[in-house]
Amino acid sequence: MALTLLATLALSAGVGEPLERPAASERRLVVMVDERGFESWPGLYELEREFEARYPGLDVQLLEQSGAVGQQDKARFLLAGELQLDVTRIDVTEFGAYLGEGALVDLAPYFDADPTWRADEYLPVVDGLRDARGHLYGLPSTFTPYVMYFNRDLLRAAGVDEPREGWTWEQFLAACRATTRDVDGDGRTDQWGVSLTQWLQALTPWIWQNGGELLDERAQRSRLHEPEVVGALEFVRSLLHTERVASFDASFEVTFSQGLFQAGRAAFYGPVGYWETYRFKYIDAFEWDVAPLPRGARAATAIAMTAYVVPRTAREPELAYQFIRALAGPRFQGLLARIGNGAPGLRSAALSEDFLDPVRPPRSEKVFLDVLPSARFLPPLANWRAIGDLCAAELAQVLLAEQCDVAQACASMSRKVDQHLERERARVGLTQLRAGSLELSFALAAAAALALGLASLTRSRSRLERGEQRAALVLLAPWAIGSALLFVGPAACTALLALCEWSPLRPLDDARWTGLDNFARLLEDPTFHASLRASLAYAATSVPVGLVLSLALALLLREHSRWSALTRTLVYAPSLLSPVVVAVVWRFVLDPDQGLLNDVLLRAGLDAVAWTRSERAVLPAFVLMSCWSVGGQMLVFLAALQALDPQLEEAARVDGAGWWRRLWHVTLPQLSPVALFNLAIGLLGAFNVFAQPYLLTQGGPGDATRFVALYLYESGFRRLDMGYAAAIAAVVFAALALSTWGLLRASRRFVHYAARSGR
Amino acid sequence: MSARGVRLWRRAAMALCAYAFLAPMFYMLSVSLQAEGHGLGGSWLAAARDPHWENYPTALARMGDWRLLLANTLLVSVLCVAGQLLTCSLAGYAFARVEFRGRDLAFALVLATMMVPEQATAIPRFLLFRTLGLVDTFGPLILPAVLGGSPFFVFLFRQYFLALGPELGEAARVDGCGHLRAWWSIFLPLARPMLVTVGLFTFLATWNDLWTPLIYLTSPEKSTLTLALASFNRSYNTAVEHMLAASAIVLAPCLLLYFTLQRLFLRGIVVAASKR
Repeated sequence: MALTLLATLALSAGVGEPLERPAASERRLVVMVDERGFESWPGLYELEREFEARYPGLDVQLLEQSGAVGQQDKARFLLAGELQLDVTRIDVTEFGAYLGEGALVDLAPYFDADPTWRADEYLPVVDGLRDARGHLYGLPSTFTPYVMYFNRDLLRAAGVDEPREGWTWEQFLAACRATTRDVDGDGRTDQWGVSLTQWLQALTPWIWQNGGELLDERAQRSRLHEPEVVGALEFVRSLLHTERVASFDASFEVTFSQGLFQAGRAAFYGPVGYWETYRFKYIDAFEWDVAPLPRGARAATAIAMTAYVVPRTAREPELAYQFIRALAGPRFQGLLARIGNGAPGLRSAALSEDFLDPVRPPRSEKVFLDVLPSARFLPPLANWRAIGDLCAAELAQVLLAEQCDVAQACASMSRKVDQHLERERARVGLTQLRAGSLELSFALAAAAALALGLASLTRSRSRLERGEQRAALVLLAPWAIGSALLFVGPAACTALLALCEWSPLRPLDDARWTGLDNFARLLEDPTFHASLRASLAYAATSVPVGLVLSLALALLLREHSRWSALTRTLVYAPSLLSPVVVAVVWRFVLDPDQGLLNDVLLRAGLDAVAWTRSERAVLPAFVLMSCWSVGGQMLVFLAALQALDPQLEEAARVDGAGWWRRLWHVTLPQLSPVALFNLAIGLLGAFNVFAQPYLLTQGGPGDATRFVALYLYESGFRRLDMGYAAAIAAVVFAALALSTWGLLRASRRFVHYAARSGR
Repeated sequence: MSARGVRLWRRAAMALCAYAFLAPMFYMLSVSLQAEGHGLGGSWLAAARDPHWENYPTALARMGDWRLLLANTLLVSVLCVAGQLLTCSLAGYAFARVEFRGRDLAFALVLATMMVPEQATAIPRFLLFRTLGLVDTFGPLILPAVLGGSPFFVFLFRQYFLALGPELGEAARVDGCGHLRAWWSIFLPLARPMLVTVGLFTFLATWNDLWTPLIYLTSPEKSTLTLALASFNRSYNTAVEHMLAASAIVLAPCLLLYFTLQRLFLRGIVVAASKR
């Protein structure tokens, strides 16, 4: 037995070994720069081969970054684990955070020593990768300024001039008014002036155009409460709610559905970047093009960019530098331009036909380069992932809610951002935890758990009892070791982290002691409160609904017949799907414009519901989705029904009890232990729901689906605030433990246990 | 209402259930057969009239070397199932059949481990596996299962062994048969339905897991099916048709396995549910 275990262990460790281990003398360069998967791989392989030929003995390892759950998660783990990673690609909005955590290698010495390096071969966007001293930390992959897409056919049909450089907000509004129409005459608008984008970076151009700023010059204080910002957001809001010329089907993370613009039902789409051309290449029903954004008090737009950098865990910085030069060199930049990833940062590639393709739409690619003089990055010294997340709820409120005080929302955003910036400054002065403390807490807790187990098992009186104890020791050993190492140890480590400030971009030894600060912040964090409320509301609805539904299904399907067997199988089938696939399928089902559910509702003569866009409808939508995976619970009920004593029900029937009375007085009491089991498991499941909100709504609209597991993930991995995430985990754990305990206590009163046979 | 009327109502309700639970899957299939680039716009009728079966080979080709992916995923899943069954049945047996002090406390601890959110312990766990030198091996995927990953399964086995009645094994024990022998030669053979139930649950969970392989595996030759599936879901663009076709391909073996093992799978749950 122990042998089997050992063999499995050895096997599991062995099977993962690479086929050929590189010789000790061989050098390795680890590169993780996935560019839109499939199409760029041939180019990357070519670079790999070239490099290996140029540096004999070098092994270039290309890693996939992988999409879906967390594009950057892998880099975080590699950095936290001090594992070799020589080149990676980051979003420029993360640059400030990477820089601030000391997670990047300063490339200035390498650029200085390189006689072939000439900064003017690159467009000025390269300056977005410099620190305050002007040192360069990387080179651009591709970039894109935010522009406006337009449907040429719709504008022509409405007799509106095409937008040109220098067009204004007023002209934009007029064009939107002229193109917003009710085409089929049912009293509802079905063709919109503009399909607006809503994330912070996409809203920033409006703010800048109106003369506003996000932060002050030294990125120390927020300026989001200032009248220019309020004015800009009020203008955007008016498009949606007063003028009613805008629709809101466009959000950044959700690109599965064909948007209104793609369907030919919106004249403008934006502000948005070059990446959409990739999706729009399938449009053949109408002609489309791009234009600069309309100008307000001044012309302005924001730039999105990804860049190649050398993280601090690089073992071969010199070679990494060379590889970055090759990635940002003419050939690969040309390939990226042809794929349609964005505008290449290399000037020659950007001006070549690879980018300015005369055949492929849009006709006016040059717009992306022409607007550069008025284009800016978000101030590079701030963690924009964090700030964007902080503002997301208020922005959604400003844009989506029927009623909203914009000035107040801006003030609240501003306050949150100020707090964040202040904390960032204060962080530097914190004392470091002694090196190895976290590892020590891990080891101590695991050892203590094992020792406790051992102690309670070996202290016995009689010989017989000792034998039993020994048997238990042997039988439980593998499981106990696993629990100590994989649950207790990590949990202790997390508990200690909850008292610290630590970013996964830094080594673990660089955790800084903050005491109870994280918990104090939790008390005052409105997003956390909203998240807790959302989770409670979700659990309080989805769990009982699931319980009743699964019981009803079990009662319906308990008879032995071919039909019920088939239906049982069909009802259980969705439970076989991974949560990722469930989320994807439901993304289609819930789509407000073209989804299955609204299709069914409309056919039944009901109104369509904006499932994923309305704060009120989104929770029911999630409950509905949870009902789809109710098969497992149903099986448990079915099983319990089959195991019932048929005599009891028969006796009740003979006594003349009707269906309902039999159910209520005979069947249900016998099912109550199983129901309790389902209730407890359902509760745990409801609090851990993660993949669905992550892939479907990103926590929105507002904070309506920012369930605790999602908020925890966002805090730790997106905002890089692992201590805070650990504190959330501690609170969730306490809440769950308490409620389960309460449930078990309360259950003694209403759960009916059959007379115990045997033990 | 007559018996016939009741039966009719039942049939109707069943048909409705079948439709409600099947429709999203059907929808997924119909989108996976659409022409490229149509997103959600198309109707299933269009897909039925002009099915683009080539989406499936295309999706398969895009996933990379599918034989390797399948082999890796199968290897990991099978080892996980074997490990999970051994450890959980052992622990379940101990909790059900061995009188030892601290049993209830230990069992409460089992349940408590279910309450720590996975995302919170991911980093310490990762550091542990790094220290053991197991990053980029299948170790971190398999070891948690081998070492009795899910308390839920320990619980199920305990229920099952309790339900077998106290007499079972007593005679053998009196004859001097040890617990380990009794577990192996008396209880496990009787636990076939539960082995299937827990085995299937474990298989599905491993097969569908994305995060663990994403974090721990780096070499392309160790990639798994879900990782390949995830690469369809990029930030800027998703070829919806191919992605759903790929999802259907990855799902197919699970459905097949479930259909074949359905009967035993249900029996396992029945016995566990019959005893509290």
